[in-house]
Amino acid sequence: MKIRVERITDGEESIDIRYKEPNPTIERVLGILNNEGNRLWGRADEESVCIDLSDILYLESVDDKVFAYTRERILRIEGSLNSFMTETADETFFRCSKSMVINVNRVISLKSLSSNRIDAVMEGGEHIIISRRYASEFRKLLKGDR
Amino acid sequence: MKDNNNKLTFWERYLTNEIGIEFKACLYFFAVLFFYCVYRMIGGVFDASILHMAEMIFTCYFIGYIQLLVFGNFDEADKLGVLECVGMAVCTLAYTAVSWFGGWFEENITATLLFAAYIVLAYFCVFFIYKSKRRIDDKKLNEELRLFQTEHKK
Repeated sequence: MKIRVERITDGEESIDIRYKEPNPTIERVLGILNNEGNRLWGRADEESVCIDLSDILYLESVDDKVFAYTRERILRIEGSLNSFMTETADETFFRCSKSMVINVNRVISLKSLSSNRIDAVMEGGEHIIISRRYASEFRKLLKGDR
Repeated sequence: MKDNNNKLTFWERYLTNEIGIEFKACLYFFAVLFFYCVYRMIGGVFDASILHMAEMIFTCYFIGYIQLLVFGNFDEADKLGVLECVGMAVCTLAYTAVSWFGGWFEENITATLLFAAYIVLAYFCVFFIYKSKRRIDDKKLNEELRLFQTEHKK
């Protein structure tokens, strides 16, 4: 994709986007321009879908593919869990294991397990284990010590 | 990225296990020593053998490793399943065998059987203590979760 950036000294600032077919990059740029920082684009059943970040229950990485789970659907999103965490910079999303990120606002209850692990029950009823490696960080997050 | 900083080194993993086992060894050594001292006092003996105590602490340490590495740390388990019960039985047998061959109770069958029952009781007590501790922790965690969710409501 050709990118043309021009600095101007007077006149109105403008951005023109030219594309043949919508794709994730274009959708992401449009999302930023439309001030959709709290929204996420992904693909579900071969169509592009935009969802609210707050609707996400958790994200899972499977074979280098990242899926976002809401109560109604599963979306495949671009990038990795690391890039998601960096881009959203939202404290309510917590990396709870190597392959999962949970939305803490969508946790119904927590249960302390042996070996300092924590079982998080999500709104959909799924049980997600916060591994020992991440549990102390999670406790700090809840206490606001992070 | 924060994720990489979270990775435990081999040394940290080893130290975590080792501290857990040493804590376990101290806990069970204290329990075994208490039974041993009571047995001695009932028999009218008011001193303890250093050799016996050395045997006890090494046995507790060794069995601590077995508990953790073979039987999935059964005294701290979430529930008592088959593996946990087998672990409890094997470790009790190990303590009883060492006490018999080490002459802790002068090969007195009654005292040795009572000692075996005492070890099982100790395991159950430790299991329920950890369970209660986790139940209290559950309450604390859920209170903090509600507070977090209230503060971060969108």
